Amino acid sequence: MPGWERLLCRAGVRLLAGGPGGLGQAAATGNRGPWCFIVRHINSTTWWDEHLSEENTQFLKQLTAEQYRAQTASKLCPLKDEPWPLHSWEPGSRRVGLVAIKLGMIPLWTKNGERHAVTLLQVKDCHVLRYTPKEEYNGKTATLTVGGKNSSPFYKPESALEVFREAGVPPKQKSTIFKVSDNAIIKPGTPLYAAHFRPGQFVDVTAKTIGKGFQGVMKRWGFKGQPASHGQTKTHRRPGAISNSNAGKVFRGTKMPGKMGNIYRTALGLKVWRINTKHNIIYVHGSVPGHKNCLVKVRDTNLPTYRDCNKNPPFPTFFADGEEELPEDLYDQEVFQFTDPSVTYV
Amino acid sequence: MLTCYRGYFGDYSWLKSVYFQHHLVSVFEGCFSSSGLLRANNEEPAKFQPPPKPVVVDKHKEIVERRFLSPEFIPPRERTDPLKFCIERTDMIRRRKVLDIPEFYVGSILSVTTADPYASDKTSHFVGICIQRGGKGLGATFVLRNIIQGQGVEFCYELYNPRMREIKVLKLEKRLDDNLMYLRDALPEYSTFDINMKPVPHSANDEIPVNQLKVKMKPRPWTKRWERPKFNIQGIHFELPEKMMEEAQKWSMPWIKFDMLREYNTSKLEEEIWKEVNEELKK
Repeated sequence: MPGWERLLCRAGVRLLAGGPGGLGQAAATGNRGPWCFIVRHINSTTWWDEHLSEENTQFLKQLTAEQYRAQTASKLCPLKDEPWPLHSWEPGSRRVGLVAIKLGMIPLWTKNGERHAVTLLQVKDCHVLRYTPKEEYNGKTATLTVGGKNSSPFYKPESALEVFREAGVPPKQKSTIFKVSDNAIIKPGTPLYAAHFRPGQFVDVTAKTIGKGFQGVMKRWGFKGQPASHGQTKTHRRPGAISNSNAGKVFRGTKMPGKMGNIYRTALGLKVWRINTKHNIIYVHGSVPGHKNCLVKVRDTNLPTYRDCNKNPPFPTFFADGEEELPEDLYDQEVFQFTDPSVTYV
Repeated sequence: MLTCYRGYFGDYSWLKSVYFQHHLVSVFEGCFSSSGLLRANNEEPAKFQPPPKPVVVDKHKEIVERRFLSPEFIPPRERTDPLKFCIERTDMIRRRKVLDIPEFYVGSILSVTTADPYASDKTSHFVGICIQRGGKGLGATFVLRNIIQGQGVEFCYELYNPRMREIKVLKLEKRLDDNLMYLRDALPEYSTFDINMKPVPHSANDEIPVNQLKVKMKPRPWTKRWERPKFNIQGIHFELPEKMMEEAQKWSMPWIKFDMLREYNTSKLEEEIWKEVNEELKK
């Protein structure tokens, strides 16, 4: 059992280290180095403004806020900023997606009077962070890293902050990787808007599902449990049998109680009904995994059924400073707009 | 002017009506003291008339225009971004500019026409009493109840559904409760309304009449135990034995009204939203 090596290492470090400083963090993280080699790490737990005076904290906060406002403003005109060569869309090319915030759900009516529920996804401060050519990624596809909502730089590791600094963009709360074809690469620092998607298109939305914690087998896997009465002794929500005597073992992957939720799941083939260009909101059909105000990853569908619906999108992305002037609301053909008169049947 | 009033209305009971109070003040405003003037006009020794009691008229009690904000505009207390409510409100206001959604409360009698693809004349009409207003934002609903040919019928309509053609208030009034679901267990006469009833006229600035009707119920069992304090129903005439009413009080939770976490003060929100909605509607 390798556990005892770790215990000895930890005991040894405790004897030697003593003080409140780094307590053998190497041992605690499960490093299985040579068990008699004791390393003293200075991992002091402190937060960014613990040793700063109040004035300095306020100053730093204001400074970073101004800096990031200036950065966002400087990136508002990507087409005038020597963009990378733009290509036109071909069937088979893949373009970037977006990172959006799930605001909530709303009913939406079509011109026939049918009612659908739609989710609002707001695209807030979405920028392209980094381009990784296919050689560095996996040899086949190039990728673009995209970042979502702005957040504070003080609780991020330096490695992450370097990426943001290089792109010239404020630090983001969520960054995801999108596999992209070579004709759709975009210069890092370009802002992305909701008009990147158009009504009538289909998208896939990926997000972390709501975490339910440790759950029993009835909630997690939908087991039926046992009856409430008729002699059941202390057995109402238990799994019952987990295997048979033929196998003589429990197979891997047997459904049992455990942590439920808080995992990435994708909702496929969701229709985009409406785009609000003023607030950058996408109205997407049905429900989307995740809680309200969570960050989601939105991209064009890979489903073969909707391959024809995603033709001629804004390629590689929608540039706000281009010649195209979009109205405030873009609707799908079938959507009932509230400025129209009431629906009547003939 | 004074002599004629003195002769006619000796007992001063007419002072109680507001109109006459107004009039009195305007008459007496010019005088320093009423008793002095009385003596001056009189030649014969007159019976002592006590001076009229001073009338205090609250000049601030003017006719205030009634502010009504439809309850679906008030956002629920959740962790949603206020931007979502703003966007919903713009859509709601756009719909209100096309379809006139009148002010109504639970207990008012409405007549609703909707577009129906399966009807012969493509419309469907219903008259009933509003027993419940639910939902917030675009999904706001109201339930109308009526008894047609002996059968109780309830319709749940969405306020912002594009198929709604017309919503008319036939009788605007409030009841003692916010939720009249107990009409299902009440005698049918309390839920029957004439489909062809004429609208009762109502002026814009009067206060909404509260109907103090206490409804008689069918024999128990009911769909819900309406006597329990959780429903807090004022509008039922309970003919239950006292023992049952006392037993129902066992389920009362008197600590709830002290629970500060349940408080949701919407007064400021309501004012802001009312201003916003009114400005947009006037455009």
